[in-house]
Amino acid sequence: MKVNAYTTLDLVDCRVRTADDEAAGLGVANATSARENPEHVRLRFEADGQPEGVAAHVDELELDPEQARALAADLESHAAKVEAARSGEHGD
Amino acid sequence: MATDVEEWKAEVYGTDIREHVERFAEEGWASIPDEERDAWFERFKWYGLYHQRAGQESYFMMRIGTPGGVLEPGQLRVVGEVAKEYATGPVSNPEFGDAWADFTTRQSIQLHWIKVEDIVDVWDELESAGLSTVQACGDSWRNIVSCPVAGKDANEHVDALATVHEFQREFKENDRYRNMPRKWKVAVTGCREGCGQGDINDLAFEPASKDGVDGYNVRVGGGLARNEPRLARDIDVFVPHERAAAVADGMSALFEEYGNREDRYSARIKFLVDEWGAEKVRRVLEEEFVDFELQSAGEGFRESYSYNAGRDGDGHDDHVGVHSQADGTNYVGLNVLVGRMGVDDVLELADLADEYGSGEVRLTQRQNVVVTDVPDEDLDDLLAADLLDDYEPDPSPFMRGSIACTGTEFCSLSIVETKNRMVRYARHLRDTVSLPDEVEDFHVHLSGCTASCAQPQIADVSLRGMKTRKDGEPVEAFDLGLGGGLGENPRFADWVGERIPADEVPGAIANLVETYEREREGAETFRDFVERHDESDLEDLVEPEETSYEDPMMHNTKRTWYPYAEDDDMAASPAPTDGDGVPLDAATGDDSAPADD
Repeated sequence: MKVNAYTTLDLVDCRVRTADDEAAGLGVANATSARENPEHVRLRFEADGQPEGVAAHVDELELDPEQARALAADLESHAAKVEAARSGEHGD
Repeated sequence: MATDVEEWKAEVYGTDIREHVERFAEEGWASIPDEERDAWFERFKWYGLYHQRAGQESYFMMRIGTPGGVLEPGQLRVVGEVAKEYATGPVSNPEFGDAWADFTTRQSIQLHWIKVEDIVDVWDELESAGLSTVQACGDSWRNIVSCPVAGKDANEHVDALATVHEFQREFKENDRYRNMPRKWKVAVTGCREGCGQGDINDLAFEPASKDGVDGYNVRVGGGLARNEPRLARDIDVFVPHERAAAVADGMSALFEEYGNREDRYSARIKFLVDEWGAEKVRRVLEEEFVDFELQSAGEGFRESYSYNAGRDGDGHDDHVGVHSQADGTNYVGLNVLVGRMGVDDVLELADLADEYGSGEVRLTQRQNVVVTDVPDEDLDDLLAADLLDDYEPDPSPFMRGSIACTGTEFCSLSIVETKNRMVRYARHLRDTVSLPDEVEDFHVHLSGCTASCAQPQIADVSLRGMKTRKDGEPVEAFDLGLGGGLGENPRFADWVGERIPADEVPGAIANLVETYEREREGAETFRDFVERHDESDLEDLVEPEETSYEDPMMHNTKRTWYPYAEDDDMAASPAPTDGDGVPLDAATGDDSAPADD
């Protein structure tokens, strides 16, 4: 993936699992859409390291607006939960 | 459906932009409506103006195109005077002071901190000296690159400068190509050493002969950006010297007609060449865009290409040092570390060029300068000048080989600090790492992101900005590549080291050099040494470690308003400011982040 200042996350902890192996490390994630006439939201992810036998690759989700909002809402909700737990408040 | 940029271009573009810039200059920054800024800043690029990044609103980078890198007598002085008067920001750079000129990898000049209110005055001064910013950025015929000593070189095959001047007249000094789908980068090489770097340009003219006629072979579709580097493809065309402009015209028209206007990320001609193949490019060019039969490729000189090649041999890797010209005088190439020269030094260099040469100065694609036309009897005096203590004709390979892009200091794409960091790296390597005695060239190209403005893929050591975590904290980092270079068989680097913390990069390079010195075979160059190893061996050779090098910019410099400000927090930015640099009401500020990456 290309990486520049507009990349959503240039540094994210990640884990890639197969049935037999697992690679934990760092990766890049980017939410974007075509600058003009976008048909969907693209959520891309690339891990630096891969488990044995897995070639370097990029995963891409094509989300319609409803799916993108559902994902964003869940992320917001879980972010609030983690923040609450970190600050010692009661989580659900 | 056309993109926003295409629509903005359709409304106002090319030379029509000028009257609007003049109006904004007259009425001031606040007269550019918030909702029109994206459109105007995109159009300003045609005239060589880039709005600087978030936190630096109302300030512009201005790019001056010098065809083939040639600054005619008197022009460098004007650049220095303009930089001194207008290219001063709210805060100094700790390494380069209040104002400077950047010499770029496309033989252009960049000035920063230009206020919209000053643009017309700057243009007036530049144009009175025959300098121009037209088509320096944006979807245009960018600055034409060439051998920096074209027309002077004792060893050239054809005079590339004559072709550059013809292209300049035909395509740059008018808006004939005001509607290109994307930028258009053209290189003209006349020498036998490959100094034009045609392989990484959209359109390349390479020296050749056919049936006793001198001219060029043509290649199309090279470029480094978007993490999709391509070498220009051979389209099997030879063109006599006097017909080069007709082929350049035809290829430009072909790109204008068939280039992708739906998706700017796939608009460069390299992607059209991917899709069509070289044979179809040639056929369409011949059938639709030139009115003569194309000849097949002639005999070229690629086997002797040495520029930026990293091979053992007689040719130049760069233009640093003293070299003979065809007319019996000399040119003296001076190393400008990362291409940046403080304004007082620029003015002193202009004086030296007047005193010891013809006044002409040239810029190279390795961000260096060349003083031309120095007679033998004046050489010693020039070489003894104090300025050459800092801009050396015989520098350490690490100083000589360093290239860096603009970085988070001003650029909205970069994710790391670049120029000042490369200065620190080069000095540290010079002082602590020794290369084998006969090794004069060791190229380290440092780019702040995948846009690749420092041409990282064609260096001995390629560095590309990244982030990593160190001791639990996010820090600036680099991916490290090996094995890149031009020459007869150009090749892009393999990225074999990932996310190396910025303060461990000098250690990684030192360890690489130590292994190279220990394990090299005979007089093997670093590039040859690297090519002897496979990718997994190379990964093992990259051993980052902390050394005595300390890096003061490990934090997230892209989040600062200016990395070298005492209070670098975005909220502390004085921008936007009025024409006198006085902060304007924050309510008029703009958020210049684009809709997409």
